[in-house]
Amino acid sequence: MTTLETYPITVGNVTRHVPLVETLPGMRIPLVEFLGDTELVEEAARLLAEKVPEEAELLFSLECSPVPLVHRLAQLTELPYVVARKRRRAYMEDPLIQEVPSLTLGASDTLWLDRRWAERIMNRKVTLVMDVVSSGGTMKALDRLVQRAGGSVVGRLAVFQQGKREFNGEVTYLYEIPIL
Amino acid sequence: MRTYAVEIAGVRRELPIVQVGEDVAVALLNLLGDTELTEAVAEEMARRLPEGAEVLVTPEVKAVPLAHALSVKTGLPYVVARKTAKPYMQNPVSREVVSITTGKPQLLVLDGADVSKIRGKKVVIVDDVVSTGSTLKGLRELIESVGGEVIGVLAVFTEGTPRDDVIALGHLPLFKPEE
Repeated sequence: MTTLETYPITVGNVTRHVPLVETLPGMRIPLVEFLGDTELVEEAARLLAEKVPEEAELLFSLECSPVPLVHRLAQLTELPYVVARKRRRAYMEDPLIQEVPSLTLGASDTLWLDRRWAERIMNRKVTLVMDVVSSGGTMKALDRLVQRAGGSVVGRLAVFQQGKREFNGEVTYLYEIPIL
Repeated sequence: MRTYAVEIAGVRRELPIVQVGEDVAVALLNLLGDTELTEAVAEEMARRLPEGAEVLVTPEVKAVPLAHALSVKTGLPYVVARKTAKPYMQNPVSREVVSITTGKPQLLVLDGADVSKIRGKKVVIVDDVVSTGSTLKGLRELIESVGGEVIGVLAVFTEGTPRDDVIALGHLPLFKPEE
């Protein structure tokens, strides 16, 4: 096993030395992992809660890594939340299906939103929640799902923005992480 | 829509009954999006946590908010077994399980970086619903293959046949699809 180079990232009072991974030749990114890091999630949710627009009625995110974050954020803000899935489930009825142009090694994702959940979005003011935003493709897919479900997006939140992208202006994030 | 009424850890819910196979329907528990129920379940599970537990392991994704909430309440770390290997994983360890309900193979994957959190540790598995137990069996084998010792299983519900190897807060029957 090779020893990985690490990069320090900080959220509030929590610092983690995360591995640097090479996603494309010559391009390395610090790999932040919220799943399984209770302390990091708690701190991020606490800070992100202050950024949720007052008018927001519902939080919307996707599986899997932002799930603990959106759970805690929902609890702190006393808002309900809905999560889009990445696989079709047997019980889904008439789901909304949304393609995501993803940068993760060229693999494209599909998001599935059961009709029962889409109904909770209808006529609601929705804040989108992600852990890390890079190109903004996933955020745009969430945006589109909200529109299709009849809701309106009043905020787009992320803990980290990775690199600088065009979409930045529309996303409120806590920290930037570099592409090295 | 048919529903099934449950009371879990003092919280009442009407679970929708949904068809998942040709001959079978289930009461659908969804912790994703249900903050109140997740927190109440975590509180109750924290009280029933097997003594000596050092780390929690949960399969993605529906039990993830529960594992996080339980981790906060118990101070124990948790590890998520993923359903696909990710390109960024270091030396992932995996096991394939076949779901008896769907007949489809399902992968369970531990990131190598998480293996060190499990090796030599007393592990409690946390899940939402244990039905046929195929995921549970695969998860148990996966944990043991990397040197962890499973000392208990916590679930919100067992489903179908009751079982005594799971600490569950309730039990769900299986249903027939609507005519």
